[in-house]
This record gives sequence, C-alpha cells and structure tokens, in this order.
Amino acid sequence: MDLHILDHKLRVTCISKSGLEHYTHPLIKLIFLRNRTRCKFFSLTETPENYTVVLDEEGFKELQPSEHLQVEGSTWLPLNVVSNGNASSSSQAVGVTKIAKSVIAPLAEQHVSVFMLSTYQTDFILVREKDLSVVVDTLVEEFNIFREEGGESVPVHSQDACNGLQRNGREVSHATVHPVLIPENHFCVMSLDPDTLPAIATTLIDVLFYSNSPKEGASVDQDMECIKFFSFSLIDGYVSLVMDTEAQRQFPADLLFTSSSGELWRMVRIGGQPLGFDECGIVAQISQPLADSDISAYYISTFSFDHALVPEEDIVSVTEMLQAQRKDMSG
Amino acid sequence: MSSGYKPDILWSPHHADRYVICDNELSLYRIGPAGSSETKAGALPLSEETAATLLAINSDTPYMKCVAWYPKHEPECLLAVGQANGRVVLTSLGQSHNSKCKELMGKEFVPKHARQCNTLAWNPVDSNWLAAGLDKHRADFSVLIWDISSKFSPEAVPAEKVRMSGDADSGLVVTKPLYELGQNDACLSLCWLPRDHQKLLLAGMHRNLAIFDLRNTSQKTFVNTKAIQGVTVDPHFQDRVASFFEGQVAIWDLRKFEKPVFTLTEQPKPLTKVAWCPTRMGLLATLTRDSNIIRLYDMQHTPMPFGDEVEPTIIERSVQPCSESIISSFAWHPSAQNRMVVVSPNRIMNDFTVFERISLAWSSTTSLMWACGRHLYECAEDAGQGAAAAEKDIATKMRERAQSRYGHDTVQVWRNHVLAGGDDPQLRSLWYTLHYILQCSAVALQGTSEFLLMKQYTENVEQKQQSNKQSLIYSGIKNIVKSSSGTTETRRCWSGSDRQTDVPRYHSEERSLALQLCGWISRGPDIDVEPFLKSLEQEGEWERAAAVALFNLDIRRAIQILHKGASSEKGDLNLNVVAMALSGYTDEKNSLWREMCSSLRLQLKKPYLCIMFAFLTSEPGAYDGVLYESRVAVRDRVAFACMFLNDAQLPRFIEKLTNEMKEAGNLEGILLTGLTKDGVDLMESYVDRTGDVQTASFCMLKGSPGEVLKDPRVQCWIENYRNLLDAWRFWHKRAEFDIHRSKLDPSSKPLAQVFVSCNFCGKSISYSCSAIPHQGRGFSQYGVSGSPTKSKVTSCPGCRKPLPRCALCLMNMGTPVSSCPAKADEKADLTRDKKLAQFNNWFTWCHNCRHGGHAGHMLSWFRDHSECPVSACTCKCMQLDTTGNLVPCDSV
Repeated sequence: MDLHILDHKLRVTCISKSGLEHYTHPLIKLIFLRNRTRCKFFSLTETPENYTVVLDEEGFKELQPSEHLQVEGSTWLPLNVVSNGNASSSSQAVGVTKIAKSVIAPLAEQHVSVFMLSTYQTDFILVREKDLSVVVDTLVEEFNIFREEGGESVPVHSQDACNGLQRNGREVSHATVHPVLIPENHFCVMSLDPDTLPAIATTLIDVLFYSNSPKEGASVDQDMECIKFFSFSLIDGYVSLVMDTEAQRQFPADLLFTSSSGELWRMVRIGGQPLGFDECGIVAQISQPLADSDISAYYISTFSFDHALVPEEDIVSVTEMLQAQRKDMSG
Repeated sequence: MSSGYKPDILWSPHHADRYVICDNELSLYRIGPAGSSETKAGALPLSEETAATLLAINSDTPYMKCVAWYPKHEPECLLAVGQANGRVVLTSLGQSHNSKCKELMGKEFVPKHARQCNTLAWNPVDSNWLAAGLDKHRADFSVLIWDISSKFSPEAVPAEKVRMSGDADSGLVVTKPLYELGQNDACLSLCWLPRDHQKLLLAGMHRNLAIFDLRNTSQKTFVNTKAIQGVTVDPHFQDRVASFFEGQVAIWDLRKFEKPVFTLTEQPKPLTKVAWCPTRMGLLATLTRDSNIIRLYDMQHTPMPFGDEVEPTIIERSVQPCSESIISSFAWHPSAQNRMVVVSPNRIMNDFTVFERISLAWSSTTSLMWACGRHLYECAEDAGQGAAAAEKDIATKMRERAQSRYGHDTVQVWRNHVLAGGDDPQLRSLWYTLHYILQCSAVALQGTSEFLLMKQYTENVEQKQQSNKQSLIYSGIKNIVKSSSGTTETRRCWSGSDRQTDVPRYHSEERSLALQLCGWISRGPDIDVEPFLKSLEQEGEWERAAAVALFNLDIRRAIQILHKGASSEKGDLNLNVVAMALSGYTDEKNSLWREMCSSLRLQLKKPYLCIMFAFLTSEPGAYDGVLYESRVAVRDRVAFACMFLNDAQLPRFIEKLTNEMKEAGNLEGILLTGLTKDGVDLMESYVDRTGDVQTASFCMLKGSPGEVLKDPRVQCWIENYRNLLDAWRFWHKRAEFDIHRSKLDPSSKPLAQVFVSCNFCGKSISYSCSAIPHQGRGFSQYGVSGSPTKSKVTSCPGCRKPLPRCALCLMNMGTPVSSCPAKADEKADLTRDKKLAQFNNWFTWCHNCRHGGHAGHMLSWFRDHSECPVSACTCKCMQLDTTGNLVPCDSV
C-alpha cells in the first residue's frame, strides 16, 4: 500500500449560517469559475449548524476574515491511500473501513487528530502539518510513503528521531463516548463531469444557499427525523456531491454520476456538543467496529460534528453495534 | 455545452480515404481528389488537391469523451464511444449490412460507479476486447476490459438495486467486465502493447505508468512519473513509448522502464496530442493547446537503447499546416507517407503532408543526389548535343578534357584547344597565343644558342640582350610595344596598283615581334603574310583572310580570296558581291563609293567584311571602326594596330584593350598581358568567372620565366586541379600532370617521401645512388627498373646483409617477381600485370604489422584476402588502408 501526502496546504474554516451572505461571492467563484482561481482543493459542507469550508491556501485568500468566519488555526495536509492495484477484491467494504485499521487506528493510538473527508473518488485523511513527522513515523512500516511536490512523487522516509513514547506530547486519555444521531433521510454520493457544472449551477446554488428559506415552518417538525446535510467538493478537478434523496430530486437525473446499483446511505452523526479539533480517536471509534463487521462507510468531518455514511441495509446492525459499544464503555 | 468539445479526428484503420471527426457528434468523411466527379457537390476542400465529402453523421451518443475505431476489417464502421458517465456505447456510421454489426450496435457497457471515461483501446489481436480507462472512484477500478461479445447477465444486478439505472436494462447492457484493473486510481490513457497483446500500458493518476499483464493481474511493472496524460507506443519500435504531461514529452524504452530515456524540450503550453507517425520511423508529432503549429521530433537516428553518456540526436522542426487557424487536433494518415489531416476548433479541415528534410550529396563527377522521404532522386547532367553541350558544367568539361589529355600536347601547343573540344574561341586564342610565344622563344633561344656557339664567352652584352628579348616575348604585347623604339614610317603603294596610298604604316623590331605573336607573320623583320593567308584559306576563313590581305594593302589578293571563298564548297555567294564592291575602291574623298560604303558597311553581318570597308573609308590614323569592332578577334585588331597606329596611339590602345580583357577575364587578352603578373590577374578573373582551374594551371605552367609560378594564386589553381583529379580518382592523370609540371617547373618536383633502410646497418639502401638527381632511379638496381636482365642486388650495399624476404614468394627483395602462375582465363589480368611490371618489383609493406614484399605479389594477395599473408599475423592490412579498395577511374 502507498500513502501519498498530497501537495495541498489546507485550512479548515466555518461560516455561520447568518453570515453566509458575506461569502456567497467567493464561494460561487470557487465552485463555478475554476479558471479564475488557483484553488485546487475545495470542499463545502452544509450542516444544520453552519457551513464547513475546507480549502487550500489559494482558495483561503478569497475568504475575507470577519466575525462570521471561524478558522481552525493549523494547516492541514491531506493524505491519500493508494491500494496499488492489487487490492483486496475479496472485501466489498470500501472507503474509511478499508483504511480504518491501517491508518486511522494507528494514528489514534499516537493521538494524532484527523479530519476525514470522503468523496465519490477517494478518501482524504487530513492531518495537521505539525503532526506530519509523527504520522510518517507511525505509518512508515505499513506504507510506502510519498510526498507529492510539484507533480513528482518523492519517497519519504522516517526520521527515526523520536522515541515511541510521548511522541505527541499529549497524555494518553480514555476516549469519551460521544452521543450519536441517526437521522431518517437517505443520502446518495454522486459525482459530475466538471464540464457540466454550469448546467446545474442554478439548482446547486438553490440547494446550497436557499435550502432553509421556503420550508422554514415544516422543518421544525422534521428536525428530529431528518437533518439538512449537503456536501460539495471540487478537488483536483473532480466533483463530488453528497445529498439526501430530496435534494437529489431537484437535479437533472442524467447529469449526475452514481453507482449503477443506485445504492443509498444512512447517516450516523457523531457528537452532541461540537467536537473541536483536538480530540482524537473519534473516527477510530466508529470505523473500527464497522471494519470489524466489514461494513463500508463514508466519513465526512465538519467543523462541529463528524458524519459517517453507511449503506442503508446495514443501518440496523450499525445501530446495534454502536449501542453495544456504548454499553461496553459505560459499563 | 457542445461548444466545450473540441473536435478530434480519427482515421479509419482500413479505409485510407475515410476519417471521422468527433465533437458532440460523429461525422464520417471521405477524402478524395478535389474536382473529381465523385466529390463535387458539397465537398469541402482540404488542400489544393483533395476534398472531403460528408458521408454520415451520428449524433446518438451525447456526452462523448473518447472514441475508438474497431480494428478489424469487419464490421468496418464499428466505433466504441466512451461517455462522460463512463458508459461505453458501440455505435456505427453509415449503413452496415453485417449481421454481427447489427447485433453489436447500441450495446452498452456500464461501470458500477459512474465517472468519466477517459480513454478507449481495442485489443489489436483479440478484437472482442475493449479496454476503457475511467476516472477514479473510491471503491471501483479505473480500467475495465469489456468483452463486446458477452451477453447481458440479468442476475448480476439484484432487481431492487436497479432503481437508478432507469432505462438501462433493455437487454443490451453489460455490467460485468472481463477484467478490472487499477483500484483507487484514475486511468488517463492506456494502450495495448503490440509486442504482447495480453499486456496493457496504463497512465494513471497517481503519477504512475504501469504495465499490467492480463494473465497475472496482480503483477505489474510500474514507474513513477508525472508524464501520464497520454501514452502512445511507437508503431515502428515496439519498445518505445511516448508519454506526456502538460508541456513535456517523455520517451521511454520498455526494456529500461525505470526512467525515461530522454525528455523533449518543454513547451510553455500544455500538450493536447502526441502521435507517432505510422508511415515513418521515429517521427513524433506533438500539438499544444491554442497553437497553430505542429512540432515534429525526428528520432530516426537516435540509437535505442542508448547509453547515458550520449546526447540523443533529435531533430526538432515545426510545421504550420493551416496558415492562421488554431489546430484543435490532427491525425496521421494510416498509409500515405507523412500525411495528416488537421482540424480547427470550428471544424475547418486541412489535408497536409509533412515534407521530409532533404539530404543532398554532390558527387565529384557532377551528379547530384538527394533523398526526400522514401524517394531518391538523381540529377545527372543532360548529355545532350548542340546547345546543351556548350552549357555543360565546367567540372564535366574539365573531366572530359583531362581524359582527352588536354594541356599535354607540348609539341603542337595550339592543338590543345582541339583537345579541349575545339569549340571555345577563347581557349583557341589562348593556345595559339601560347603556341606563338613558345615558337618565338624557341627561335630566340635558338638564336641565342647559335650565337653562344659562335661567340662563346666573348660578348656578354649581346647575350644579355638576347635573353632580354626572350623574356620580352613572355611579357606580352603590352610590354613589347612599350619598349618599342626606332619606329619607321612607310607609305606603300597598293600592291598590283601604281596608286600611292596615303596610309602610313609603321615598322619596328618590336612591332614585328608583336605581329609574330599575333600569328600574322612567322619570322621578322619582313612582313610576309602569305603563309598566314594560305592557312586561313585552308581553314575556310575567307573573310578574315581577305581582311588580312587588305590590311597588307593587297586589294587584288583580297578580292581573289573572296572570289575563292564564294566559289568554294558551301561558299557564300555574297562574297562575290563584296569582292565587286571592294574592286570599286577609290581614294577620292567625296566619291559616292565612299559615302555608300561607310554607311552600308554597318549592315554587314560579318565583322571582317565590316572592318574591311571601315579601313577603306577611314581617315588615316582614325581606325576606331576597326579597332573597336569587338566581334573581331583581339589578335587581328592588335596586329592591325601594330601596323597602322603611331607610337603615341598604339600603347594607349593596347593599354585600354588590356584593361578591358582583364576585367572581362577574356583569355584572348593573354596575348596582350603575356604570362606576367598582368596575365595572372586576367586569369584570375577568368577563373572567377568560369572555375576553369585546369586551363589556368596548364597555361601558367608554360610561363617559362617561372616568375608567375611563384604567384600564390597560380599555386592555388594547380593544387586545386590536382585535388580535382584525385577526387575524380584520375590518379594516373594526376601523376601525369605532376610529371608535366615538374618538367616545366623544376621547383615543384616532390622530395623523396619513402626511404628504405637496411634492418642491420640502418643505412638507406638507396644511399649509394643518391647522387643521381632523379630519386626514382635510386632503386633501379634492385630490380625495380623493370628490366629483369639488369643486375640485381639482394643485399644491403652498406653491410652486405641480405634484404628482407617477400612474405609471399619468400625470395629476398631485390629479386624480380617471377611471373604469377596465371590461369588461362586470367588473360585480362595478365596484360594488367604486364603493364604493372615496373611496379611489381617495388617494395611494399603494411605500416601496422610491417610485413610486406613485392608490390605485385601483395596486390594479387589482397585482391582475395583482407588479412596479412604472414601466417601468424592477423593484421587486417587491407582494411587499414582507406584508399586500398578504391579503383582508379582512369585507365592505366
């Protein structure tokens, strides 16, 4: 297996719902006018609480600082696992599950905080730039690590300077168990030919920025069952969309790509309180049991909460599993 | 949306006249000659000669991303179209009655997860296999190999899962690929390897080029590179692959796959297409975005594989197929050499042939060869007759003249112009001049020697004068008339008439010498032109003879000559009329005769007739009509001037004429300049004009005083002529020339270049004979002289030790060669051996292994062998001799 440290320096930001109007211009520019910006990594996720924007430094320049914009202080680097072709075709599990054991768990053990971003095309594991040496040391046994610089992949070797303990300078603490929320909506993960992006521009703008306005009254009632979740990313020219079936109906069917089986996903939202960025092991908490049961998953972290997507047919077993885990921890 | 697609172009693999343009639809065109009956209505002109006709349009497949043409003959118009959602659809253009084609039409191959299809490639051998390269998906493979003959398998997809695929399940949808490769990776480009059709070369997203073998998909060879946007295998060199990324092309050798063998110079704009020429070895064409030029890289002479230390020899060129328009795409024609069709973004097409660089070679024998593409052209001089022959290149002329021994007739020097072909009046004049010079100088010498015999050592002064006179002969009429003194003036009667003329004639010793050089008289001081007139009559130069007679104030003789001319064979009857006119001559100034003659003479076409009347109608001393008649030979004008111009006029006229001749490089002027520095100047402008170093060399060698030979220009001509002879492989001619030269110019005699020294005492074996001036004779006593009866010396004259033995006959050197045991059929060789007899006894040896023997033996040995005749020696003596295998071009 190869691990690629991609050539992007990312910032994780959050735009409050009320402040969105101040940022529509840069956001539309970053989404639709690819030729006008040098931003290569852009992800926008709408949750009921806020909008999480992950973007590289070129894109970050577009966002004017204001009271409505929260910025996580560190620079994050995306990691990408490449299966080298001869992957396990036996296992049907995809996404985070596949890397749960090899990447997420070891990093959690070393107390490296990760920020997950799954897309239609691949899974990105974001780590803080300052944690990079720990990451390399941790994963160098399992992976061939490459750092991409200016289009070339350069092999990275462990510095071997650190000892096994106290690598991160953080204390080993017991993971807290976070409450989970399983909303009723069904989600689909889709992609799009970037060339056809202009064709769905109005729908996309409508869904992204005006979703709350028309059915303000109805949503109070629905809040418990369905939550608003929409994710758009444009990374290295690839578009990835995560939306619920209700939003999907607004798009023309022939333009969006999805799997031929038309699979649908249910969401598990992790966290009752905003999780922050320092706690580690949250992703591992969810992905570990999923991997054990060979259930595939998408995982999208946002500024406040983490979101895992699991196949709809597996949601029952996942729910049971999470409850069992809760009992174990508390018991 | 459609405006976003730039048209691409695809040639039919089997129909050399069909291609498809794909943008948002597929259009099939047929290309044909412009203006032919087939292609008149609606034909789009592609070039001056060709036009394209639209045959069919297919717009069934939207969101087209890539197209591949079925490689087999049947069904011929089957195309695979890769769409933006990753589906691959089989479609066709035009009607096809092939049942297999109907069955396949509309068949769709659907990947599990939709994403863009980037590239398609049919397997060249197993043509049911179609490889599709897709964008990446987190849980799917990016290379799917479909079997187009596989049937729809409904059990593959559970019914409840088909919700989103909509209309797809019409029975023509295939969802199970034959092979899946490259998980978690995008495939941007792929191609099957022609060397092994089970192998596939992929260019993937994670900066990899990878080779998969379908027989064992878990094994792959891969290399990390950023040049992954496109890969293409050289059809002529199946281990050579070009791949590109942005503006850079990398060339790979699959046998040394670790790194590119070389990369081409980076272009500032990203590349859009890179294609090997299918009809020409090692020619790669590249196109960058928004460009109107196609760059070509010629790697024909790039060795593969080549070492790291060698700089690759790649010739880079660019072509501009359509003058202004940007090129959207291009495609090489599959069979027509170096031909391509280019298409612009607004679908304007252009048929274009890349011309090969021409390589050109001159042969030393005036033929010219050049190669262009697969054609070899030879341009030889047309050996036509008449006018064409006169226009022959000077090199051809010199070659022919060398073969006819031009310049070597030293007895009848004038004959050399006949050897030169006899058709050049300047050469004729030159050789006559040289002839007269040599004749006069011979007379003068004779005089001197007679003089010396009579009054030996007594009167040095006289002797000096004589030798002065001799050098004067070579210095040309210009100098002769300058030194003229003691001119006497006479007025003579017209011969055969009592009438006194008022024409003054001038005499002096120098003037008569000049007349001798002009060839009018043979020996002074009496002016007797009769022999000259006779010779002119013999040659049929009637007008000239008449003019000469007239200038010698013999009208009757002139009339007689003209009459003779008119009555001769092929004679011109007009000469009688001229004779009549001449007979009416009157010296009355205002007569009608004079008036008519002076005006009508200008209409005479023959220059000599013209000057005759000019002379008769001129005032004494004002003979411009004669002197400046350029059609008259310089020789005759000068002779005339020497007779009728006074001491003041004569040098002025000669000076003027000399300068004229020098400027024009006219060899007739050598008469005036002689073989002096002036003569070299004149010759220089002649050589500049014609390049005839041969004539220049021979002419200047005649310059007896040797002064002119020291002129560097003369040496340069001689050396160039010798080189020319060598280049023509006229080695014997060159040797002959060298001999000729050394006779005339003893200083040019080459020094001995070869010495043979005794192995024992180290003394030269020719030492004892070195007193004899001619070097070659030094060896004569060693049997080299050719006469076997002469005394032979087989030992060193210094120490009496024997000379080395010939490696073949094992006799000591110095023994003459015994006649070779010749077979009956080697008669031709025998005569050759005889001719070489003198050389056969010569010493010869290899400079490398130092073995050798009699030259004749060695020659016959190396005719059949390349190795040294000494049994233990493996020296390839003959191959070391670069000129050894060349045969002289001139016969021995």
